[in-house]
Amino acid sequence: MKKPQLPDKRGYFGEFGGKFVPETLICALEELECAYREAKKDKRFKKKLKGYLSEYAGRPTPLYFARNLSQFLGMNIYLKREDLLHTGAHKINNTLGQILLAKFMGKRRIIAETGAGQHGVAVATVATLFGLKCDIYMGAEDIDRQKMNVFRMQVLGARVIPVESGTKTLKDACSEAIRDWVTNVRGTYYLLGSTVGPHPYPLIVRDFQSVIGREAKRQILKMEGKLPDYLVACVGGGSNSLGLFYPFFKQTEVKFIGVEAGGYGLGDYNAASLSCGGIGVLHGAKSYLLQDNGGQIKNTHSIAAGLDYPGVGPEHAFYKSSGRAQYVVVKDKQALEGFKLLSKLEGIIPALEPAHAIYYLKKLAKKAKGLLVVVCLSGRGDKDLNIIQKYK
Amino acid sequence: MRIEEKFKQLKKEGKKAFIAYIPFGFPKIGYTKDIILALQASGVDMIELGVPFSDPLADGPIIQKAASLALKQGADIEKLFITLEGIKKSLKIPLVIMTYYNPLFKFGIEKFFTKMQAVEVSGIIVVDLPHDESRNYIEKTRKFDLETVFFITPTTSKSRQEKIVKISQGFIYYISVTGITGPKSFTFTPLTSYVKDLKKITELPICVGFGVHTPLQVEKIRSFSDGVIVGSGIVEFIGKHFRQKNFLNKLKTYVNFLNGREYA
Repeated sequence: MKKPQLPDKRGYFGEFGGKFVPETLICALEELECAYREAKKDKRFKKKLKGYLSEYAGRPTPLYFARNLSQFLGMNIYLKREDLLHTGAHKINNTLGQILLAKFMGKRRIIAETGAGQHGVAVATVATLFGLKCDIYMGAEDIDRQKMNVFRMQVLGARVIPVESGTKTLKDACSEAIRDWVTNVRGTYYLLGSTVGPHPYPLIVRDFQSVIGREAKRQILKMEGKLPDYLVACVGGGSNSLGLFYPFFKQTEVKFIGVEAGGYGLGDYNAASLSCGGIGVLHGAKSYLLQDNGGQIKNTHSIAAGLDYPGVGPEHAFYKSSGRAQYVVVKDKQALEGFKLLSKLEGIIPALEPAHAIYYLKKLAKKAKGLLVVVCLSGRGDKDLNIIQKYK
Repeated sequence: MRIEEKFKQLKKEGKKAFIAYIPFGFPKIGYTKDIILALQASGVDMIELGVPFSDPLADGPIIQKAASLALKQGADIEKLFITLEGIKKSLKIPLVIMTYYNPLFKFGIEKFFTKMQAVEVSGIIVVDLPHDESRNYIEKTRKFDLETVFFITPTTSKSRQEKIVKISQGFIYYISVTGITGPKSFTFTPLTSYVKDLKKITELPICVGFGVHTPLQVEKIRSFSDGVIVGSGIVEFIGKHFRQKNFLNKLKTYVNFLNGREYA
């Protein structure tokens, strides 16, 4: 299969993407791009990554036919079990790839941003595995909400730096990580956690996450002898969804559905950048954002901390504008319903992020009977149990 | 007044520029006009007026806080231009608008430039619009006869420097450190030689900023460049003193002190 040429040389997916960063960072992005291109060609790099993905992280993950849920909804549903990976979510696919890249580039220090702490834990994990110093920026408010993940990162030897600026959540942690990178650019590797940010990050993260879709394609062909009608995944920044979607890009008969976080509702605080936002520039890329009329970034809300971000990856913006994917919205309460549904019917407790995608299946089931659907179950729900308790 | 003209005038007088940065709408929208005129009265050669943005990636805590306070006061672009219209007649020195890309993009680039022309402001810096993304922007600024200032930093390669110099107008903003605004310190080596090397490829004035907060630094920077930019220091001073009596006089005294002049 010929891969689509996305992004172009300047880091654009159609009109989205680019490198909107202060001058100081340009050289670092160029260095990263060169290193990534070299690493991609390097057979030892590939082999190493493959080894860690299988032996350390637990790949390939199963594609599980969810019989009870399928029966209940009248469709054929397969779950791509990223929740079974080490650290409990798909994030480790990307952090393993990027930590090897950081080693390849000879960097000694790793920085990262984290919202719920899932990416932070995945970064702290690989940093300690490879003996690199690790600083994680996390919004002060998120630190309060996600104490267990903060503790996990600390156990793993990372320093968690509270971010007190702005809304004290993921977007501010991201800004603060970029500020650190601007200041310590020469020896520091910024390990971004989603398909956002300036070029080449959206490309790198998508590539490292594409293992999800490549495996799923192989598995579904083996199990069903055909490609699915739909791929469904939740979209915050967009890494698990692009990981699943991208390898199917050329098979236009496979429809993509990205499920955004509707928070309290479309007229209220939410995190549905593609469905409710407009085009703008945040954290180095042109994409869809939740912003006010003056171009200031709006406050967001989602019950799923991993979706609680006012922007979205530029590749998703391109999929939306070109019609390749459809984006829908699922609210907090509905996500909770999705959470319960999967827990009760399949004995799988999903994270609140993919619980959005699970809920959407209910709506999809109304479209037609017997659809073949693959859903990315991007993470497990242990981290969310205290939030669920509050909603009881 | 155009930036270019100002530097010609300074050159004739054998002087180097002192440029002051303030965020629009800080500490309150009503203060901006008075602060600008006070800075002008104290002999500042040029003013950089920052457009507040909710997520200022290149700014340290002092300017972050100022911007967020300004936003709380409702400091938007409409009000910015109303303020500038109000001081158009009294402003004798060049003013440069410094903004992040998103507020400009959202407002509408051409609409923004039209307003700039109307209030007779010709200089603009966009913090997160590097050379690589600037083609469209440059085309439009030329149409409106605006002067486009760009950054060069210690990490900018030679080949990039040459490209940036070509699209720069007014002056080159040389950043003293690899870092964000308001660093506690910076070193003169190798800064001095970086600036000297840059002079070999451009005739444009080169002004140095980030981390400047003492008269000694101001004097020293002027010895090897064409001007100095002070931001966080002034913003911090404003934040600490604006509630006091004679605030504007105190600001003038402070700027004169930085500028190496006797107390007014």
